[in-house]
Amino acid sequence: MNTSPTSRRRFLAGAGALGAVGAASLMSGCVASGSGGGSTAQSKGGTVSLQSNLSSPQAKKAMEDLVAAFDKRGGAKASLNTVASETFRTQLPTYLTSANPPDLLTWYPGSVANAYSDKNLLLDVDDIWTKPELSGYSDALKKLCTDDKGRKVFVPASYYWWGVFYKKSNFAKWDVQEPKTWDEFLALCRKLKTKGVAPIGLGAGADTAWVASAWFDYFDIRINGAQYHRDLLAGKHSFTDPQVHKVFDTWSEALPYFDPNGTALSFQDATTALLNNRTGMMLIGTFFADAAPKDQLGDLDFFRFPVIDPAMPLVEEGPTDGYFASAHTHHQAEVKELMRYLATAEAQEIYLKGSSGTSIPTNPTAKDSGTPLVKKGRAMIESAADVTQFFNRDSSDALQPTADTALTKFLAKPKEITSILSNWQRDAQKIWSQ
Amino acid sequence: MAATTPAGTPTGSPAGSPAGLKARTADASAHARRRRMWGTVAFHGSAGLISLLWLVPIAVVLVTATRSFDDIAAHGLGSMPHSFTLGGFRQAWTDGGQQQALINSLVVTIPTVLLSLLLASMAAFALSRYDVPLRRALLLLMLSGNLLPPQILLIPVSKLSEKLGIYDSLYALIGVQIGFGVGFYVFVLHGFMRAIPPEIQQAAVIDGAGPWQIYTRIILPLARPALAALTALSFTWIFNDLLWAITVLRTGSKMPITASLLGLQGQYVSQWNVIAAGSVIAAAPTVIVFLRFQRHFVAGLNLGAVK
Repeated sequence: MNTSPTSRRRFLAGAGALGAVGAASLMSGCVASGSGGGSTAQSKGGTVSLQSNLSSPQAKKAMEDLVAAFDKRGGAKASLNTVASETFRTQLPTYLTSANPPDLLTWYPGSVANAYSDKNLLLDVDDIWTKPELSGYSDALKKLCTDDKGRKVFVPASYYWWGVFYKKSNFAKWDVQEPKTWDEFLALCRKLKTKGVAPIGLGAGADTAWVASAWFDYFDIRINGAQYHRDLLAGKHSFTDPQVHKVFDTWSEALPYFDPNGTALSFQDATTALLNNRTGMMLIGTFFADAAPKDQLGDLDFFRFPVIDPAMPLVEEGPTDGYFASAHTHHQAEVKELMRYLATAEAQEIYLKGSSGTSIPTNPTAKDSGTPLVKKGRAMIESAADVTQFFNRDSSDALQPTADTALTKFLAKPKEITSILSNWQRDAQKIWSQ
Repeated sequence: MAATTPAGTPTGSPAGSPAGLKARTADASAHARRRRMWGTVAFHGSAGLISLLWLVPIAVVLVTATRSFDDIAAHGLGSMPHSFTLGGFRQAWTDGGQQQALINSLVVTIPTVLLSLLLASMAAFALSRYDVPLRRALLLLMLSGNLLPPQILLIPVSKLSEKLGIYDSLYALIGVQIGFGVGFYVFVLHGFMRAIPPEIQQAAVIDGAGPWQIYTRIILPLARPALAALTALSFTWIFNDLLWAITVLRTGSKMPITASLLGLQGQYVSQWNVIAAGSVIAAAPTVIVFLRFQRHFVAGLNLGAVK
C-alpha cells in the first residue's frame, strides 16, 4: 500500500507546521507586547494558521492534503491546526477574541457569522469577492456571506443537503414510489406500516436531539415559507403564533408513523436501523452516509421533502461550510491569498477527493464526486427557490437547545403542544434578549 | 465459575446428615457449616457478578476496537462482532495523531510528577518538621485551594498564560498542573512526615546533619511509600486531564492524548472502532503505572488516616 510515502509527507508537513507555528507565535508575541495589545491589523509576512474543526481522521487528512497543495504552489504558506469539533465549538469565541488569534477558521456563514461580525471580530473580505475565484459564485451564496452592514466576511467551500433517504432495494421490494406531496407521503407511511416496519426513522436520541429540528425547519418552510422561518428564528415572530401551531398540526398527522425509538437512538444508530430494514426512511443530511458501510452506499437514494402547500416556493435546506478570518489577524494579505485559493475549483476538488465526498463544492465550475446521489442533490439545491441553512445556523447555537427541548417533548406528548410552545417562546425570549 | 462449583454441594449434604441420638451437636455444627458455606457461595457469587459487571464495559471497548467500521455501521454497535481487524489502532495511531499526542502527554506528565513531588516534599518537610511561622495558615491555604472548583479558574488561567506569553506551549500546561497539584501533595506528605518519630531527626542532628541532609537522607527515604502512592495518583490525574490541556493549548499537534481522543470524534459521525482503539492506547500508560505502583497505591489510600 502507499502508507510509507503518505506518512513521510505527513511527517514533513507536520514538522514544517511545528516550526512555523513556533516562529509565528514568537513573532506575534513580540508584536502584541510592542504595540501594547492594540488591534492594529497589519500585514506581515509569515505563515497563516488555519484552525479547523474537521477532526475525524478522514476529513483531517483531506484538510492536510489541501493545505499541502496550497503550500506547494508558492507564495504564502499555511499551517493547519485541527481541533476536536466539540472543543472548537465551545472555544470559538475565545479564539476570535484572543490577542493572538488563529488567522483563518472553519465555520458557518449566515446568522452565525453575522453575530461575530456585529462585534467586529471578522475580517472584511469585500475585495476578494471581486476576484475571478469568487466572482462566479451564485447570488444566493453572495447574499449568504454578506453581513448586516453589507460587508462580505465569509468564503464558502462546500455544502450538503437534507432529504428523505431510503433504500432503493426496499422500496422496490415493497412496490412503492417516491412521494411528491404530503398526501402521497402519508399514504406511503400507511403502506409501509402494513409491511411491518416503522415508516419514519428519526435518530433524535442521545447527543443528536438536534436532528429533530430538520423536521421543524422543513414543515415551517413548506407551510410558512423561508422568510417567515428566518424571522421566527430571529425573534421577529413568536413560537406561539397560529402559523407555528399549523406546523405542529401537520407534523401530528405523521407522528403515528415515526419509529417509537426515534428519540432513543442517535442518528448513527438510526442509520443502522434504516440499513437493517427496521425503518423505511429517514430525513437526514448527507453526512449520514459516512455512517453507512461503503458497499451499501449504492443502494441509498432520497426524495425531496414532500410539498405541503403548493403555493409556497420550493425551498431546501443546504447548510454551507466555509471559512472566516479573524479581524485581529497579523497576516491580512496572506489570509486573503489563502481564502482566494480555498474558493478555487482546484482546492475544493482536492478536499472532496480526500473526504467522504458527499458534500457539494460551492464553486460553480468545481466537479463534485459524480455519484448519482450527489448529482441528484446538487440539482435539487440548484433548482431551489431559496436555501436555508439549518435551525442553529439560521439562529444561534444558544437557541438550538430550546428547540431540542421543545421538539423532544412534542414527540413524547403531542397533545401538550400549547404549553410546549409557550415554554419554547419563554426560553427563546431569554436568548434573544441577551 | 466460583458461583457454580460450590452451589452443587449443599443439595447433597442434608441427605447425609445422621438421624441418631447424639446427632444434635453434629447437626448443629453441620448447620453452622452449611450456613457458612452458603455465605461463601453468596459472597463469591455476588462478588463475581459485580466484577463481571465492572469488566463488561472494558470488554466491549476491546471488542469494538478490533471490529471494522463497516461491520459496526451495518450491524450496530451492540451486535456480536462479524470482523476482526487492528486497522482501528493503526488509524488512531497515525491518522488520528495519537502517536504525537502520547509523546506530548508523557512530556507533560513525567516532569510534572517529578517536579511537583520534589516541591511538595520540600514544603511538607519544612512545614512538618520545623516551627515555620504561620505554618497552619499556609497548610489551610493550600487545602482551601483544592476546594475551589477548577472551572471558575479556566478564564483567569487562560488569560494569565496569554499575558505571560506561554499560552499554547507545553510549559504552560506543566506550570498549571504543578500549581494545582502541589497543594494537595503537600497536605498528604505533611500528614505522613509528621508521623515520623522526632527522635530519628534528633539523632541525625546530634550526628551533625544539617536540614538538607536530614531532608535527603532521613525524611525522603522514610517517606518513600507516600511518595510512591502519590506518584501513581498524580500520574493518573495529570495524564487523564483534559480540562487544563484544552484551556491553555490551541495547536492540535501539541495536544495531549485525552484531547486527541476527543478529536477522533467527527463533526457528525463517530467511527466507534477508531475511538475505542484510541481509548485503549490512551489507557495503557496509566494501567502500566498503576500496576507498577499498585502495592503502594493501596497502602497509600489510608495515608494520614491514622496519626
